[in-house]
Amino acid sequence: MLRLQLTLAARYLLGRKLRTALTTLAIVFGTMVIFGMGMLLPTMLAAFQANVLAAAGQVDVTVTQKSGEAFTRSALSKVRAVPGVRVVAGSLSRTVNIPSGYYGRTQLGALTLTGIDVDAAQALHSYAVTSGRFLRASDESVTVITANLAEMLSLHLGDKLHLPTADGDITLKIVGLLPARSQPGNEEVLVTLSEAQKLLALPNRINTIEANLNTTDQAQRDVIEGAIQSSLGTDYTLGGLSGGSELLAGLQTGQAAFSLFGFLALFMGGFIIFNTFRTIIAERRHDIGMLRAIGAGRRTIVGLILVEGLIQGVVGTAIGMALGYLMGAGILLMMGSLYRNFVHLNIGAPVIEPQLFVQTIVLGVGVTLLAGLLPALSASRVSPLEALRPAAVEHTTQRFTRGNIAGAGLLVLALLGLVSHNARMAALGGLLFLIGLVLVAPVLVQPIATFFSRLLTLLVAREGTGELAQSNVVRQPGRAAVTASATMVGLAIVVAMGGMVWSLTGGFLGILQKSLGSDYLLMPPAVSLWGSNVGAKPELANRLRATPGVAVVSTLRYAAATANGKSVALLGIDPVNYTKVASLAFQAGDPQTALADLSRGRALIINGVFAAQTGLHPGDSVHLSTPTGQQLYQVVAVGGDYLNAKIQTAYISQANLQRDFHKSEDIFLQLNLAPNANAATVEPRLKAILKDYPQFKLVSGQNYFEENKQIFNSTFMVMYVLLGVLAAPSLIALLNTLAIGVIERTREIGMLRAIGATRRQVRRIVMTESLLLAAIGTAFGLLAGLYLGYVMILGLSTAGYPVDYVFPAGGLVAAVAIGLLLGVVAALFPARQAARMNIVRALRYE
Amino acid sequence: MALIQAEELTRVYGAGETAVTALDHASLGVEAREFVAVMGPSGCGKSTLLYLLGGLDRPSAGRVMIDGISIGELTDDALTRLRRQKIGFVFQSFNLIPMLDAVDNAALPLTLDGVAAEKARTRATEWLQKVGLGNRLTSRPDQLSGGQQQRVAVARALVAEPRLVLADEPTGNLDTRSSDEIAGLLRQVADDWGRAVVMVTHDAHIASYADRILFLRDGVIVDELRLDAHNRANAELVAERLRMV
Ligand SMILES: Nc1ncnc2c1ncn2[C@@H]1O[C@H](COP(=O)(O)OP(=O)(O)O)[C@@H](O)[C@H]1O
Ligand SMILES: [Mg+2]
Repeated sequence: MLRLQLTLAARYLLGRKLRTALTTLAIVFGTMVIFGMGMLLPTMLAAFQANVLAAAGQVDVTVTQKSGEAFTRSALSKVRAVPGVRVVAGSLSRTVNIPSGYYGRTQLGALTLTGIDVDAAQALHSYAVTSGRFLRASDESVTVITANLAEMLSLHLGDKLHLPTADGDITLKIVGLLPARSQPGNEEVLVTLSEAQKLLALPNRINTIEANLNTTDQAQRDVIEGAIQSSLGTDYTLGGLSGGSELLAGLQTGQAAFSLFGFLALFMGGFIIFNTFRTIIAERRHDIGMLRAIGAGRRTIVGLILVEGLIQGVVGTAIGMALGYLMGAGILLMMGSLYRNFVHLNIGAPVIEPQLFVQTIVLGVGVTLLAGLLPALSASRVSPLEALRPAAVEHTTQRFTRGNIAGAGLLVLALLGLVSHNARMAALGGLLFLIGLVLVAPVLVQPIATFFSRLLTLLVAREGTGELAQSNVVRQPGRAAVTASATMVGLAIVVAMGGMVWSLTGGFLGILQKSLGSDYLLMPPAVSLWGSNVGAKPELANRLRATPGVAVVSTLRYAAATANGKSVALLGIDPVNYTKVASLAFQAGDPQTALADLSRGRALIINGVFAAQTGLHPGDSVHLSTPTGQQLYQVVAVGGDYLNAKIQTAYISQANLQRDFHKSEDIFLQLNLAPNANAATVEPRLKAILKDYPQFKLVSGQNYFEENKQIFNSTFMVMYVLLGVLAAPSLIALLNTLAIGVIERTREIGMLRAIGATRRQVRRIVMTESLLLAAIGTAFGLLAGLYLGYVMILGLSTAGYPVDYVFPAGGLVAAVAIGLLLGVVAALFPARQAARMNIVRALRYE
Repeated sequence: MALIQAEELTRVYGAGETAVTALDHASLGVEAREFVAVMGPSGCGKSTLLYLLGGLDRPSAGRVMIDGISIGELTDDALTRLRRQKIGFVFQSFNLIPMLDAVDNAALPLTLDGVAAEKARTRATEWLQKVGLGNRLTSRPDQLSGGQQQRVAVARALVAEPRLVLADEPTGNLDTRSSDEIAGLLRQVADDWGRAVVMVTHDAHIASYADRILFLRDGVIVDELRLDAHNRANAELVAERLRMV
């Protein structure tokens, strides 16, 4: 029985090669997106772990301070004292961002500088040097690096390695080479602990404790780890490093968005398949009736249709996964260079988790089968009499169904959600709005198609072709609605993204001018991931101040902390000098006094993102975890600067940062020239000073503003690329509907040609039909897009981003243009197919 | 000169081993206002002949002249224009557009010719009234019986005032009563409205409405029967003659 079903299914599929290909394409696209996007996060995670955690190596326990900051050796003794701990070693390790061009043409994003307690470390790790010797406790200005790194930099034993530090550029002599590491990641530069403490200006401090335990029994280990934790207190973390978690959170959000898009694509794919199967059933009523007449059971019929779906699902999913792999690998390749340069993360080979295979296959094949099930069931109800009766004239009139009414209800709810001005309600409303539109769409097809066909008739579709096209669209309102919905989803996202990018650009450029409006900026390589940047001692700022022509220098310092359980970047500012070169954009509190208030006791200005996450307001008090223990700070205002708008940030005075966090390294400097100074003469002097501090780049404030505007503009470019991807399901849906329509109406087209329609007129009918479908989709897309865009901005401002909604006029124009283009492109092939049709064969078509 | 002059028409489908000669050196002429029926068993090449006469297909050999024009030399667009203006078609399965009402269906050839909508509808309405559907003008095909749908098709075939109407088994999907009515209507097309009609059928009774019957067998015209006023509609005569060929 199954053999018969397989044979028949294969015959039917091959008999309509074009349609089979188009339907399968819908599945291919959905699975491609899910599979391709599903690869991204695990690969990034692996890269992240390799980079950040590889330094930790294979040890039983790694202890770090919660904030990621350095601490005193007293913690080391505490760990050593815990029973069951075999050996411990403290180390001081830090990512050192390498400015581009620092090592000539070798592109190296970052290195990890690690100072180890030479004797203790060798008890924990085995360092098998391949040439030269390992470090000795008494060593000064020497290093051991991996053979890999040496090769990359064309360095040999005895050569000098340059490194940017807070003290300026330094050199280390290479005394030994270690074998290349198996995991990719930041290459390590090993020095003695005292050397690292000197280079990083953290005397007597360490930031990592590694320990090995004297048992391998998991239960006993848990007990020992518990003892270490309780002896150190809650300010310390056991396990991997916690730094960089904000990057991880960002990645996860991106992944969620991509997956959602993949599901939408697959959902549309399901619709397309559902449609195709309904058409197939209508076409084959005769055949099915005949099969029933000669004794096929209902189950056989259901099986027959489902086997067809299964074949397409399996083939489509397989192709989709292959293409998805290529897409994912391609994106990773592109992101690789981006990440190396901006976030200093090396991305390795694509990582595919086994569950991704399972998930993609289940979704791809499952959606296909599910979409085929309803049509299959309706096929099984075909009576054997159908085989004997001539085919009835098809004609469906659209009446109000329960679905339409439910859809209208959802739309009303969605609007209520929008009016509520509550971000969560509005977001829910956005989903309801989309679903509601899809549900009411079939009723709206007729009036909208009538409206647009009048328009098109005036413009292009003369000689009755417009009316014919409209009648083709209206003939299957359900199918037209689904097709238009696919276009709608794509375009809604275009409009919404347009609105968001526009609003964000306006908001951010405003703050940019306010907070970075100084004459010059000294930028570290990784802006906003402050922890990994190497700064400078106050000496740099002093030398700049002493330069003739410089009026004022303001610096930012950095420390990591946690407050209310959330990690936060603390920026130390000098309230007096800061106000002379820049300002924060305030959202709450008194802008006049807020900065001055920072000098009164332990005071803190928090930025919008952090305020939204913690619910803190001006006047509240909050405990910050510091290397010196918990300290109570008072929130005086909510406000932020440009560079940190996306990161949880708080601003305190540099005096407080020095006292509570022992940090006095400047990681970002701004300066203004004296009113009568000539930039052309001052700039060379500044550059001369910066020769000693290659980690900083001198940028004029004006240039920086322009550069950032440029970045916002390239964000638009990225959006266009995304649009290309988004357009694909819409295009497939349109193409599919048109192609199926042309196939179904073969005999009608033959008749039209016989009674005198030219090829061009036939082509115009299909083209107009396509434009009508696209127009309906675009109309819906604009509506839904405006709604979604507004919701996104509402959500962003509740999350603390300083943005106002800007009406995306440009996005609307773009969406209309894209909609029209989709219509034209989708019609090219089916229109040609229809126009080229052989009249006699078309008239004889069954 | 005859309205249609077909000379040595041959149509071969496929090539090599599987080649089928559907029409084999068939020659015929049709005069203006003449009603010709083409008869023969299924698969003898009747439709093939009709399609060649209507310019829907091109012959493998031989040529067709319509109103003095050799259609073999025309481009696709010119041929289409000729069909639109000089030939009306009626098909076995009506082939109406389900979403359009009777008037719009009947008006299609004019609309495609760029005639203004109002004028096209007026003329379509006139023809629908002439074929007896004055009371069903705004009905859609699914609201009409088979016979009524075929009347709409006849009105559509006549609306552009062609000189020739080609009908391929126009009664093939109809019951006996409706078949009679349609055959009578085609008779009227020739007699009252002055068009030439070529009708394919395998029903002797329907064929007996014609002025002249061509008998086709295996792609060859094997016989011809003229019916005058006194043996018109004599189905037995036609059936007997059919048995002989
Ligand atoms: N496209 C085609 N390819 C091959 N053979 C064809 C094709 N169309 C028709 N034929 C064959 O040509 C012969 C005549 O067909 P047709 O003109 O349809 O006959 P009738 O209309 O008299 O039933 C038949 O044998 C038929 O099988
Ligand atoms: Mg035939």
